[in-house]
Amino acid sequence: METMRPTLKRGRDVWDRINMPKTEFLERVGKIRARMGEQGMNVLLLHANSTDEYGDPCYISNYVMKMPQGAMVVIPLAGEVALICEGFARDLPGVKGITWVENVISCDNVSARSIAFLKENGLIPSTIGISGLEQSMPHDQYRFFLDSTGSCNVIRANRMIREMRMIKSQREVDQVRRSARIVTRAFEKICQTTFSQISEKNIEAVMGREAYFEGAEDVRILIARPGEANSALRPLEGLPVSAHEPVMLCLAVEFERYWAQGIKTFLFEKDTFVESDRNFLRPLFNRIIESLAAGREISRFRGETLAQAGSLQIDVLPEYGLGQGIGLSLQEAPFLDESETGRFQEGMCLALQIAARHEEAGFAVMGETVYLSGNGPEVLTRV
Amino acid sequence: MSDGNRKLEKALKLINQKGLDGLIIYSSGTCFVLKPFYFYYFTEFRPIGSNNAALVSRSGDVLLLLGPRWDAGRAARQSWIRNIQGTSDFFKDLTNVLRKFNMTGTVGVAGADQMTYPLYEGLRREAAVEPADDIIEEMAQEKTSEELEVIRKTARIADIGLQAFLRHARIGIRECELLAEVEFAMRSAGADDIFNLMGSGSHNYAMHAPTDRRLASGDAVIGEITPACEGQFVQLCRTVFLGSPAPVLVEKYDILVRALAESLKQVKAGNPAALISKGMNGVISQAGYGKYCYPPYMRARGHGFGVGSIAPGAVIDDDTEAVLKKNQVVIAHPNQYFPETGYLACGETILITEAGFERLSQTETRLYSNEG
Repeated sequence: METMRPTLKRGRDVWDRINMPKTEFLERVGKIRARMGEQGMNVLLLHANSTDEYGDPCYISNYVMKMPQGAMVVIPLAGEVALICEGFARDLPGVKGITWVENVISCDNVSARSIAFLKENGLIPSTIGISGLEQSMPHDQYRFFLDSTGSCNVIRANRMIREMRMIKSQREVDQVRRSARIVTRAFEKICQTTFSQISEKNIEAVMGREAYFEGAEDVRILIARPGEANSALRPLEGLPVSAHEPVMLCLAVEFERYWAQGIKTFLFEKDTFVESDRNFLRPLFNRIIESLAAGREISRFRGETLAQAGSLQIDVLPEYGLGQGIGLSLQEAPFLDESETGRFQEGMCLALQIAARHEEAGFAVMGETVYLSGNGPEVLTRV
Repeated sequence: MSDGNRKLEKALKLINQKGLDGLIIYSSGTCFVLKPFYFYYFTEFRPIGSNNAALVSRSGDVLLLLGPRWDAGRAARQSWIRNIQGTSDFFKDLTNVLRKFNMTGTVGVAGADQMTYPLYEGLRREAAVEPADDIIEEMAQEKTSEELEVIRKTARIADIGLQAFLRHARIGIRECELLAEVEFAMRSAGADDIFNLMGSGSHNYAMHAPTDRRLASGDAVIGEITPACEGQFVQLCRTVFLGSPAPVLVEKYDILVRALAESLKQVKAGNPAALISKGMNGVISQAGYGKYCYPPYMRARGHGFGVGSIAPGAVIDDDTEAVLKKNQVVIAHPNQYFPETGYLACGETILITEAGFERLSQTETRLYSNEG
């Protein structure tokens, strides 16, 4: 789900070498280099500059930017991997504490510094693979990159990285599972909390505190209130919550770089919340989860889901989609939309969601993080 | 006249003065504490999606184009702009509006630095593009009474956050738990965004995002506590010592308190912002730490805060050329590395007035200690 991006990732910032050892990253580098070799690349550049879309450089380096600043991982076919990140030189010790990459360079402009790095290492001219530059770099930085690599053969490598990230290793699944555990803890917490006064901000404060105490690196929360006119998911405001009122909460938690997301319905009864099954989407959503299977065409899954909804006279809201992959990004491949031509595969982690309007019940939304294992779908965010 | 109409009127005046066909105020949805948020300022709506624009034609047509589509209802409630369109194909819809509004000659763009290459180049195929950040900067340079009210509210939340920081900075708590408590206090008080950094240890080098480290006796715990409401940030920087602070720490912190006081003596509308930095650096240099006032040890001595403009700028140092103006909001922080004590935090957010300045928060500027 798209969420409001904070000005800073404010949670626990560590590299737990047991959860994600250096060998995991070296394996990824090895696989990438094998593919680079197949495609004739001399060097691969992975760029990101957002607190939401940090995934490609992080996949190799474990580095995540806390603010919207550029970062580039440079992977030569042979030799040392480098991490070039925008920021202050005094922050370098902190950066080095969360990455295995030893060659970390701070700069003002990641494009200019990356070009200088390529020149210093004799990689201009060469065949350069790129991912994320065109999609996320500010236009002037990308223009500079293009102008500076006119003598090079530039190959778009987005697909290569996308396919690798789409199938999670066991360690990655475990990280998503840890994030999902925090999601469920935070949902449980608001059911255990007695609210003397209750506004949406109080909900956000309680869930956020619980998630950060449990080690979250980033926390995003949205609310939907079916009683509102034109109800939709939105950031929480200072509005009061009424007794017996259903609210739908979307909580996304990032733990050690990996995300999980859940969307659940609660009723505010007296002075606390109780989880509610009063959501007309529940039967349909359960069927959607059960129908997930490795090997199934995603387009077919989508078509059949919408047909099922139609048979139940549920008017699915297409703007929310049915979900997508989740991992180093809240929204990553595969996207369960009409453009997806692939199949579900074992090892995928998915943020499934569905939103609809009903003539009598109004707006409803549900969501879970699901791991597609060899034994079928496993819901990771179920309380 | 509503605030929105005032903004539209000012924008139209500047669009026509510059001979533009219209203005695009763009946002990629990111918020950076050291940069203005032109889109948020103009529309009074903070977007979720990664492509958003307000379009204003020279004849006064206005449209808010945003993603995701499901967020359009919130925009309708919060923004003064009545013509709102959710989009799932931003560029296509943007070009359609440009043509409909006859914005196909020369178009000003505010926030173009957030545009990606495909978007910017695509836009250049539709119209001649001129940078127009200055339009919003000019509109936003003097904060309105409504903005000042929000800033004062944010300052009260900063006090609440800092009190939580002082209360929870105890032996045994993890850094991430400490900042969770601070955030809880500020969220409960109404903050809608937060920028908190900290450090802890017997000898700190910088502030950072929180770690698993548990606070221990003898730690200096440094914090930069920064809530935001409606895009207005207010910051407080403080140090709390766990235990009885050694005389050397008391002495060094006193240098910072004096440096801050000296720098604030120079503050009033019309004075160069650089005097803030020079005032601090003068006191710290006289104490024998001149070399530690500059990179790599120190960067800026302060910066502006605001939604539409962060004037006098993102960096206040000895070389800053900007002049302070009435109603600018500025953080002045003589945060400083000392070889004997490590990095210490001390700073205030102030409002520039004709005669001087107004401290926005109430928490006393001193070295704090928690014995327990």
